[in-house]
Amino acid sequence: MRSLSTELLSTYLFNVFVISIIVNIAVSLYGIFARPSLIKKIIAVTILGDSVNTLAIIVGYRMWPNPHQPVIPPILTKWHPTPQDIQNFAYLAVDPLPQALVLTAIVIGLAVTLYLVFLTLQIYRFYKTTDVRKIARLKG
Amino acid sequence: MGSKEVVIVVSVIAFVLLLSLAITVGGLGYVLPLPNVREVASWYLKTTYNPFMKLFSAMAPEGVTAIVWDYRGLDTLFETAVFFLAIIGSVAIMRGISLKGVKYDPEKHGMSLIMKTVTRIVVVMIIAVAGSIALHGHLTPGGGFQGGAAAAVAPLLVLVVFSKYFMDKIGVSKNAMLVIRSVGLIGIGLTAFAVVLVALLSHGQAYVFQNQPKPYAPLGFPYKAGTSLLGGSLLFFNACEMFAVAAGFTIVFLLLALPEREVIKVLRGEKFEH
Amino acid sequence: MNPELVVFGVMALLGIISMVATIIAILERDLVKAVIFSAIQSTAYAFMYYLLMAPDIDLVYIPVAVGLYPAVILFLIKKTERFEGGEESGK
Repeated sequence: MRSLSTELLSTYLFNVFVISIIVNIAVSLYGIFARPSLIKKIIAVTILGDSVNTLAIIVGYRMWPNPHQPVIPPILTKWHPTPQDIQNFAYLAVDPLPQALVLTAIVIGLAVTLYLVFLTLQIYRFYKTTDVRKIARLKG
Repeated sequence: MGSKEVVIVVSVIAFVLLLSLAITVGGLGYVLPLPNVREVASWYLKTTYNPFMKLFSAMAPEGVTAIVWDYRGLDTLFETAVFFLAIIGSVAIMRGISLKGVKYDPEKHGMSLIMKTVTRIVVVMIIAVAGSIALHGHLTPGGGFQGGAAAAVAPLLVLVVFSKYFMDKIGVSKNAMLVIRSVGLIGIGLTAFAVVLVALLSHGQAYVFQNQPKPYAPLGFPYKAGTSLLGGSLLFFNACEMFAVAAGFTIVFLLLALPEREVIKVLRGEKFEH
Repeated sequence: MNPELVVFGVMALLGIISMVATIIAILERDLVKAVIFSAIQSTAYAFMYYLLMAPDIDLVYIPVAVGLYPAVILFLIKKTERFEGGEESGK
């Protein structure tokens, strides 16, 4: 099936992929804490949400049965299936449950971000600045 | 981009490559990605369209849409509620502001004639594609959210290329979009309770969000019309959700596109309208 | 060169591209450039979702993260400040 060197190489490439998503989470967390502009914080919050959703979808991926047969998305394409077709489908398809939960998470993240944008606009109209250091120094 | 940023980027890339080499060769005890899906996922994949197990199946070939509206329908109900609360919050912040008395003038408002003509063609195509994505949600990748988010790009385009005065002229206002959103949400509620109401009238038993007949609840939506698959209640859910999501996004864009001088006038107390 | 190595190689390359775009977006002081780099990162993610066999997520993610988020944040930048830290110009 697979020789040791191709298995090591494919594992290495997948590990590079997973660790780059984790580094994205770390960098966007740094961006939320360390940058003083409210708009930069909103951009970093969206990057954080997207990276965590990608990590959830990676959990649902599965290994290829052999290197020439790719896995398929969880959508049945035969409308008159035999029991053997359904067994093949369950043997090859990726996990559909993380995708359904991430769908909900994307819409909720979008709704909260839109509300944050309106709050930032209101802060700018009243205090004439979006810099959190200047807002913290105002009195009253 | 200064040299400090180039050094940071190169060092982070080297860190990622070396760390994954250490994990691969050193060995963590398991191999990524995993070779089998979990038991729950295996059950969902086997029963999403299974004509031999009709009492346990959702009879829709699309796995993800069946989970979103049939197996886990209550999650989607609460997520729609959260989205609605965010829109209400945004409308409440920008209350009392409206643009009256400025008529749309094709020469002064908006971009050039080439942009307007191209936008007229593209907007129709966007809405047609979004409707197709939403209505085929039980057969191909797609569904209510996907169609609604794609259809929300069209009002944004019209707002930027024409202007907000054009949207007021053709009647797309915040109140009209709120009515459309409420109609979509009422449609979702009625579809969720439809089988319960029919079963109450005929002395049977039924669940809320029921799609297909289940043990001890023999009523359900039809899953076939002739030879084409209907997907049960998924078709109605997808259609209502598309209208609700597109109208919700349009409300947010209409509120964001108000010019600042009108808003400042309201905040200083010179004007207040409902 | 079997297909598995090609697919995983493209995934790793996209991961590194998205990481570079994220780092530049966070460190940049001009907010319009930060939004453009965030859109580049979203495009890399959208291609990743296709390779991870998740087409439903892809169809939500492309209008939302490449179309709606940059448009809304550009509206916000136009109404407030463009440079981080006030109107003194960046570098």
